[in-house]
Amino acid sequence: MDPPVKRLTLPASAGSISAFSEFVRGGAVAAGVAAHEFEKLDLVLEEILINVARYAYSPETGEVEVAYAQASAHKLRVEIADFGRVFNPLEADPPDLSRGLAERPIGGLGVFLVRSMVDSIDYRREENRNILSFTFPIDGGPSGNE
Amino acid sequence: MNIEPTELEKAVLLKVTGRMDAENAHEFEQACERWITHGTKHLIADLDGLQYVSSMGLRCFLSVAQKLQSGSGSLILCGLHGLPRQVFEMTRLISLFPVFETTQQALATL
Repeated sequence: MDPPVKRLTLPASAGSISAFSEFVRGGAVAAGVAAHEFEKLDLVLEEILINVARYAYSPETGEVEVAYAQASAHKLRVEIADFGRVFNPLEADPPDLSRGLAERPIGGLGVFLVRSMVDSIDYRREENRNILSFTFPIDGGPSGNE
Repeated sequence: MNIEPTELEKAVLLKVTGRMDAENAHEFEQACERWITHGTKHLIADLDGLQYVSSMGLRCFLSVAQKLQSGSGSLILCGLHGLPRQVFEMTRLISLFPVFETTQQALATL
């Protein structure tokens, strides 16, 4: 049987981020994610949701749906879906982390941090939706060896 | 997030506590810019009470440090730990700032 999926839909704006964080934290607590990992999960959600708020609908506004389910004993799966224009944040070039202070570009770190903190992340366009799906480790360590 | 400034002889100390996120990171940048406009060369950010910082916050730290460096000043970071330390390390930004455990150690270098 598939695990139960919880969903929450709110306006795609920065003001919705804390409500989404609290919502997903409920799933993280239930799944047994260690408390010291909650801020990483908050960061992953914030970076993804800020991208949706900025690029998916701009200058119009729209909604975003966050859904989560425990994917396995070691992983929480989270999906973030919007109905905006085609936008895959994972296509962004990785930032050049070797530059000195004066030459270091100030953008591009959000997606890099997301990739560093999740187990896996994928983008798909399904009908008229952008769906970003990631798995977050429950035990704090790598869970790719199941 | 709360920012508590203290004017010292050679620098301004900004004690930053709480969470720096996409909604409030600009407040930190604006606070720093006011001191820069005021003629401050060295800012010391005491981050011992900072629990969270996302990429928006990192942008602000970087932007402030670039402005100070162009005027031969610096943005010095102290007390980094937990998630903020992890994100500074992951992005290798940590190597671009003077970083100290305590504000006393930072002040001794000025």
